[in-house]
Amino acid sequence: MDVSGILESQKSKFKSIQVNRLIPVEFDLGLLASFDINMTDEAKFRSDKATREAYLKELSREGAQLMINELFSLPTTVDDDSYYASLPKPITVLPREKPIPKEKPMTRWEKFAKFKGIQKRKSSGKVFDETSGEWRRKYGFKGVNNDDQKPWLIEVPGNANQYEDQYKVRREEKKERIEKNNRRSQRNYEERVAAEKGMKPHEMRKRELQKALVLSKQSTASLGKFDAKLKGEPKIKGIKRKFEPLVGSVDKEKTKNMAILNKVNKGDSKATVLNVRKAQRALNNAKRAAKK
Amino acid sequence: MLTQPKAKNARTKRFLTNRDPKVNENVKTAIFVRGSTTSKVIQDTLKDLFALRKPEAVNFTKKNEIHPFDDETGIEFFARKNDSSLFAVGMHSKKRPHNLILGRTFNYQILDMIELGIEGCTTMEDLKTKACSVGTKPLMVFNGEGFNQNEDLIRLKSILLDFFRGEAADKVSLKGLEYVITVTAGPLGPNGEPGLVFFRPYTTVFKKSGMRQPRVELEEMGPSLDLRIRRVRYPSDDMMKMATKVPKELKQTKVKNISRDGMGDKYGRVHLGKQDINKIQTRKVKALKKKLDDKQPASKKQRTMDVDSD
Repeated sequence: MDVSGILESQKSKFKSIQVNRLIPVEFDLGLLASFDINMTDEAKFRSDKATREAYLKELSREGAQLMINELFSLPTTVDDDSYYASLPKPITVLPREKPIPKEKPMTRWEKFAKFKGIQKRKSSGKVFDETSGEWRRKYGFKGVNNDDQKPWLIEVPGNANQYEDQYKVRREEKKERIEKNNRRSQRNYEERVAAEKGMKPHEMRKRELQKALVLSKQSTASLGKFDAKLKGEPKIKGIKRKFEPLVGSVDKEKTKNMAILNKVNKGDSKATVLNVRKAQRALNNAKRAAKK
Repeated sequence: MLTQPKAKNARTKRFLTNRDPKVNENVKTAIFVRGSTTSKVIQDTLKDLFALRKPEAVNFTKKNEIHPFDDETGIEFFARKNDSSLFAVGMHSKKRPHNLILGRTFNYQILDMIELGIEGCTTMEDLKTKACSVGTKPLMVFNGEGFNQNEDLIRLKSILLDFFRGEAADKVSLKGLEYVITVTAGPLGPNGEPGLVFFRPYTTVFKKSGMRQPRVELEEMGPSLDLRIRRVRYPSDDMMKMATKVPKELKQTKVKNISRDGMGDKYGRVHLGKQDINKIQTRKVKALKKKLDDKQPASKKQRTMDVDSD
């Protein structure tokens, strides 16, 4: 049975989705964009507004139709009762927002662990506390290594002073461990910054120290003039006052003076000699005060 | 001593790490800034463009003494403050009436920008038609040969594409194709200078076509702008090179021995081992068969030996 006749008659009920273009339109479906470089009708642009708008709308409709045709023929997936067209990767190169992230240099521990082949193992953050019969954090809030969770009875070691406060010793030891960790982290940070600047860590430390020294000198009343000199102290380089030579070119002097005169005469918006509004206000205030 | 920058709490840390450079970047945020003097046209345009760009957009409602072409510091400061990389600045003066500057930054520094004079403007409010829903991706249609020939128009095309691209997506809802932005370049001037550029957003209406693809009808949504290109700032080569670099992680790994031609056909090269001619199965011809005579005497011999032992 020939159904082509029926199909044709069915099709003619609807408006066509066909669009003719001399040069094929380029698509960048990854960006949902299309580029049509066909000639436009110059006469239509020059005629009155209504014709131009109608022409623009027609151009746009055809452009949109072409892209919709292209998008609806892409492979689709169904998700939440709606159809999704899977898009190809964009072709047009558009600039990034920020540079590519740099790789962080390894810390001393990471270097060592790599050398030794030590791998990070995932361990649970909680341990079972038998005294209370509960699961507690290893450290932190309500952690088992907090002081109040530790045994209240401490044996005094044989070689220790028997009058020493063992609770204090425990506190001090913990403080020291934290301090040590912070020092290590600081060292890693300084080494990282030095590597980024392409310097050696000790060179950078020296420069930072010299910077701090200069700052501290400047903060005395005499700007460090009467301070005791340190051994190997760097010479402070400041701004030197420079004076124009007494005898020089006349033109230079003339232009300089004329610039000042012009500024006074013309009144630069930002550097007016007389602020009229302000002066007026001051005058009014004075008058008011005199009346009282 | 150097002090490590450290976030005071987890929320700030999350906020700061979100701003760090990434392999897969965040959606670009746009800022809409008003200059020291603006006209009604400029204000309406900025308002409408902001509406199209929502939600990744920040609208500045106060005036700012800002001139990106003369002094970059102001806009770069705003970009850093808002962590944005796209900007639209609107201003109005006697010399440059209804001035709109569109541009983008890279690493909080101005990459490129384009100054446009608005010569005709129909806002969303004037048209009062149905608008698209917030945050949908538009279809971008560029018409006119100018977009392939003129340097300024090519720049404008790139900036507009970046401005309205929105989130990078590998799939798109076919129902969600709600609006189209068409940019048509009018005829070029006698010396090849760009003419008027017509920026037109339309909402789409899908009608039955008796086929898989629907018939598209358009309705003007606004803001419809007739733009004239004024000043253009091009990016420096090394900055553009840095900005278009593709991270190692996103580069496609090269597959050996597989190639594609211009038509998209795939070609693969297969390596076979060395051919062993002796083992090839050829036509069975009597002449090529191994002679049975060589084997027979040996078996006969064995048999005779067997007999002997008995």
